[in-house]
Amino acid sequence: MTTPMLEIRNLHARIEDRDILKGVNLVIPAGQVHAVMGRNGSGKSTLSYVLAGKEDYEVTQGEVLLDGEDILGLDPSERAAKGLFLAFQYPVEVPGVATMTFLKAAINAQRKARGEGEVTTPDFMRAVKDADHDLHIDGDMLKRALNVGFSGGEKKRAEILQMALLKPKMCVLDETDSGLDIDALRIVSDGVNALRDPYRSMLVITHYQRLLNHIVPDVVHVFSDGRVVESGGKELALELEAKGYAEFDEAAA
Amino acid sequence: MPAPVRIGPAEQKLIEQLSAAGASAAAERLGAVGLPTRKVESYHYTDLKMLLRAVPELAGAGKALSEPAFRIPGAHRVPVTNGAADIAGEMPPGMRATIVHGAALTERDDVLVRLNSALAAQTLKLEIHSRATQVVHIDRRTEAEGPAHMNDSVHLFVADGSKATVIETFSGTDETHLSNHASYVAVGTGAELTHILLDLSSGQSTNLATAEYQVGAGARIRTLTIHVGSALSRINLFARFVGEGATGDFTGLNLTTDGQHSDITLELTHAVPHCTAKPLFKQVARGRSTAAFQGKIVVARDAQKTDAKLMMQGLMLSDEAQILSKPELEIFADDVVCGHGSTVGALDEDSMFYLTSRGIPRAVAESMLTRGFLEEVLDPIADEELHIALEGVVENWLSGS
Repeated sequence: MTTPMLEIRNLHARIEDRDILKGVNLVIPAGQVHAVMGRNGSGKSTLSYVLAGKEDYEVTQGEVLLDGEDILGLDPSERAAKGLFLAFQYPVEVPGVATMTFLKAAINAQRKARGEGEVTTPDFMRAVKDADHDLHIDGDMLKRALNVGFSGGEKKRAEILQMALLKPKMCVLDETDSGLDIDALRIVSDGVNALRDPYRSMLVITHYQRLLNHIVPDVVHVFSDGRVVESGGKELALELEAKGYAEFDEAAA
Repeated sequence: MPAPVRIGPAEQKLIEQLSAAGASAAAERLGAVGLPTRKVESYHYTDLKMLLRAVPELAGAGKALSEPAFRIPGAHRVPVTNGAADIAGEMPPGMRATIVHGAALTERDDVLVRLNSALAAQTLKLEIHSRATQVVHIDRRTEAEGPAHMNDSVHLFVADGSKATVIETFSGTDETHLSNHASYVAVGTGAELTHILLDLSSGQSTNLATAEYQVGAGARIRTLTIHVGSALSRINLFARFVGEGATGDFTGLNLTTDGQHSDITLELTHAVPHCTAKPLFKQVARGRSTAAFQGKIVVARDAQKTDAKLMMQGLMLSDEAQILSKPELEIFADDVVCGHGSTVGALDEDSMFYLTSRGIPRAVAESMLTRGFLEEVLDPIADEELHIALEGVVENWLSGS
């Protein structure tokens, strides 16, 4: 059997004294797109933070294997170097750091991890152009401070541009649809779809079915009270939309 | 009657040096009150009596021994070595350099001023009559094999309607020098000046400096005071608006690393109406070090329509670092807009997570965010070569430990 891209085994995590994740099991084979749906407060975003290694959360039990390797002992930058990418629900505004400086630093960190030299400015600009597709990240946006004063749509487009530039093997998209109008949703979804690849997996976290019309998942998981309570094909998303989450709370109880 | 002050060996040495220079009043004063302690409000964070342990012999004539600490391509450099300016070279058009006997600062109740006024033998006077902005680098050095006590003095005169960018650097040989610098800066009516003080002196030295600014009507001044070098530093900034409609952006970067104590103290006086000031001082402390900033804005009774906003921001990079800041407002006019703000904190953890989640190692992310914190102060420096050189100073500081 081939190694799954991501395997989460009985993952438990807490913040302060509150248990949030209560035994998550999830297997994503290479090349597949999985969706995690659940209502607000079910622990979906916590799952994305725990995968990326945010310090506020304490993992009390379980394992997370990225391409067969346990990553829970690694810090966020090491996980990223191994090919994990989190597209943030709320990309952080960083005053004083130009977007271009940040992107270069991220690319150079990755190149360094692979033992390569720093990227030259022309090569960098070419890489940005190649990654852009139809995201429309212009030179002006690159010069501005990272995410500062960006509209909701610009922030999400910038996240997808970063994803395209860093070429991760495992992408976690946390509520990428939140705060987007229909047009922006389409642009962002097209950006994500362009990155679908037999060697790249995605975990798409959302609580609306509408995103999944654009990014069509191979598998849908229903998340409730800190774990996966139901898994199925893409039609499960439609069923959820029709019936609401209450139906699945039984399973969690 | 107050008990007589105990005079320590450093003070004793200074008294001897003052007496030998014929400054008997200053010597007497120091003998009576000693160096300022934390009980003196303007030295509250820098107890010189405790911190200044030794005073070396006065510096003699010196020649350049150290490597240039700072170079700006295209700038006109005027070296001042152990107080003696070298003005033999050709000056750029509109600029005149002369050497004047004695010191430059206005008499003032401050120990650094009294010492410099008594001990600086001569002043470099630089007059600028030019509408084309020329970058001038006054390279002030303390040069001696072995520790020296050095006092130097510069008088900068920017004529009405003239424009200039002047950077003064402090550096020298790697010794436990005591350097005490004075700059008197007069900005004429409608003139524009960017004035930078940059302390790059040796990590074991004590660097003291006083800059006095007189800002004329409708003039625009931007100042940037940077500390990165000396172990013990105190910089006095005395600024005064003397003509209406002037604007002053007084800014600073106080960067301290393990073992350093650096204090920048600004006293800004609005003596006349309709002047605008936006002092912005940023401090970053790491290791076991102390960065202190005091900012006082005085608005005279007649200085109506003053618009002054003092901002001080501190960033602590270690648990042992100390950042001190004290804003003061003294307002005697009744139709003014005055305010102050002060923040101190660590790096934002959400920003750290965001950067590291993109593969940027923690140390690099820390340095990027610190650099970002300082950007607001460096960004307005318009001259490109100067800007790049200053960025280099900050990058160096960030990459050191």
